[in-house]
Amino acid sequence: MHSTIEDFFKALRGSELEVSLSAQMDAARAVGLVGWRDRALLKSALGATLAKTMAERALFDATFERFFSVADSLTPAQAPRPAIPGVGGQGGGSSGGRGPGSGLGLGGEPLSELLLDGDTAALARRMRQAARDTGLTDIWFFTQKGHYTQKILRAMGADALDDELAATRREAPAAPRLAQLERARQRLSHEVRGFVERQLALYGTAPTRALHDDFLLTQKLSAIEQRDVGRMHEIVRKMARRLAGRHSRRKRRQLRGQLDFRRTMRANAAYDGVLFETHWRSKVVERPRIVAICDVSGSVRHYARFLLLFLYCLGDAVSELRSYAFTNRLVDVSGSFDTLPVEQAVDKVLRAVGGSGTDYGRVLLDIDEQLMPDIDRRTTVMILGDARNNRGEAHAEVMQALYQRARRVIWLNPEPVSFWGAGDSEMKRYAPYCHVARECNSVRHLERTLDALLRASS
Amino acid sequence: MKSLHDAHFDSVDGVAARLAGVDYIAGRQTATALYLAFHLEKPVLIEGPAGVGKTELAKSMARILDVPLIRLQCYEGLDEPKALYEWKYGKQLLYTQLLKDKLGEMMQGAVGLAASLERLHAHDDLFFSEHFLEPRPIYQALHQERGCVLLIDEIDKADPEFEAFLLEVLSDFQISVPELGTIQARVKPLVFLTSNNTREMSDALKRRCLHLHIPFPDAAIERRILERRVPGLSAALNRELVAFVQAVRRMDLKKQPSVSETIDWAKTLLLLQAEHLSLDMVRDTLNVFLKFEQDIATAGEQLPALLSQARKDAEVRVAFHD
Repeated sequence: MHSTIEDFFKALRGSELEVSLSAQMDAARAVGLVGWRDRALLKSALGATLAKTMAERALFDATFERFFSVADSLTPAQAPRPAIPGVGGQGGGSSGGRGPGSGLGLGGEPLSELLLDGDTAALARRMRQAARDTGLTDIWFFTQKGHYTQKILRAMGADALDDELAATRREAPAAPRLAQLERARQRLSHEVRGFVERQLALYGTAPTRALHDDFLLTQKLSAIEQRDVGRMHEIVRKMARRLAGRHSRRKRRQLRGQLDFRRTMRANAAYDGVLFETHWRSKVVERPRIVAICDVSGSVRHYARFLLLFLYCLGDAVSELRSYAFTNRLVDVSGSFDTLPVEQAVDKVLRAVGGSGTDYGRVLLDIDEQLMPDIDRRTTVMILGDARNNRGEAHAEVMQALYQRARRVIWLNPEPVSFWGAGDSEMKRYAPYCHVARECNSVRHLERTLDALLRASS
Repeated sequence: MKSLHDAHFDSVDGVAARLAGVDYIAGRQTATALYLAFHLEKPVLIEGPAGVGKTELAKSMARILDVPLIRLQCYEGLDEPKALYEWKYGKQLLYTQLLKDKLGEMMQGAVGLAASLERLHAHDDLFFSEHFLEPRPIYQALHQERGCVLLIDEIDKADPEFEAFLLEVLSDFQISVPELGTIQARVKPLVFLTSNNTREMSDALKRRCLHLHIPFPDAAIERRILERRVPGLSAALNRELVAFVQAVRRMDLKKQPSVSETIDWAKTLLLLQAEHLSLDMVRDTLNVFLKFEQDIATAGEQLPALLSQARKDAEVRVAFHD
């Protein structure tokens, strides 16, 4: 039964539940302990070893039901029929099919006998065995369905069956056996095809999804289609969580073995200078303070959604994140980010602030007026936008002031570097006043930039 | 001597029966997880709402196995010295002071610094031996002759750093003390970790544990729990009470009443010598199982409806039983 449990792991992977190797070993040992008999017991034993959170448990339950129901229903839905008398007499005719290498690799009777006997259990066994031999659990795409169906049929001994059919058709076209066999053959292909389809649903989703995710990661944000937006949200959220996880931890670093002499002396003054209480040195690692300013105008509409989403998710990773959005005036959106769930917050910001007629000059003046006092050498300023100013006043001097005050100024521009400065883009004038000015238009870019940002500032 | 692993469970139902023997009514999922944990020698991470008996489960297990329960309550700022061991710095200092003369004697005749150091080295581990070690829960747990049940309570309250520190204990049942070397568990303890889900545990920790989620019990199990825990409660009141609590749990409340609250309430009603739930009595005792003013107000408004629903549920069940 070992391969069954391996297939189950594959099916779990198909439902997006990553099962670690140690969990797999535990599961195998657990199955050894409780056995396969009791379905409910098996489920709870596998669940305890494989699912590690509530969410995973729900996924696990669903997959378990699906997998073991498929495994149970392997038996083709063919009602067992009593063998027709007379067919037995014809059995001699079919012995021609038992020629050398007539697909009996799976042992036992030729397929035609099984079909005519209506021995569904043996058929199901043979189908399962054939599926295993052909490696059906490696199925990836729906386009492979026909291929696998044929392979399985062949492995079950369909070639011999077809030869026999052809022979019977030539020799005794009127025999009742022929019609029966033909019907059975059709039903069999149908069954196998259905089986392959169910298996594809179980195993085929994981690799294709990984492929798709990979594609989405490197795809330009503006080119992502509507139907992928949901998936994209999930990816961005995952990434933000990963970044948060990576960077939220190092708050305080103990410097082991370094005595904080001053504090120790002070604490032990009462003991006549005998060092009863020791204090050790530690270093507080500050989490970055970030001011994020995001352009949400028409020209960057496609990006803005993801950038906002990202800002929202980033809130967990940094101690102090203040978010602003603008089209032609600066608007503080931290409030909606703090109170609303993510989708609503992003929608609300886009509705309230988005529009056309970007005015970077005006916004920079707003920044100068509203934000400048709060920006000091611990603040990182992050600007997300294409710097297309509709030929308005650039006010690059505000950028210069920012550059001088802030710890870092980072500009993420969705346009490729070669477009900077072309047309109404003011990027060439702003870029000198940024510590980092980078092209950023895919999730990969975003992740790399932000990872570097968080690392540098902690 | 009898150790933890001399005990034997031959089946999942056996575990459930033994637990019932010490008045802990476990669902099948719980029993399975315990059975596996015992045989695979793996820690169990228990999650679930407060008051469903996560801690109680560890206690009951300790009673069944007849081994000590060692409990480590986690909190923010819990660190290695408090969980594992600490050098008794004061004692070390005191002893050096007291033994000054002895040390002086010992040094007699030694010429020069190097020779004195040589002499001292002959006794070097004197002050860093187990006599000067203050064992904390995890160290104690590894040191038990007969094994023990180690309960690491509310691990989600501890810092992530502490979680990382636990990994060695959880996977290998050993700890490394720089001054003493690696200490192996004499008998592998049965480890329970509980979490109230205030934060996500790290993957590394989850990987080393079996996962068990204890939800609110269903009516049948809750009735059995009450039978065990509140002897003297009449069957009729038991049914009504459980039906009522189950109905309350379906409401949108800030904090849903848990099993421990049901037990408290049952005890209260027993004390008041109630035979059936009456509107006034429920209203007066709502604060026993609802802990927020807001929840009490919400439930208070719908009290008559809840009560009639509970009576109906209780009756339906009687009909089923007959």
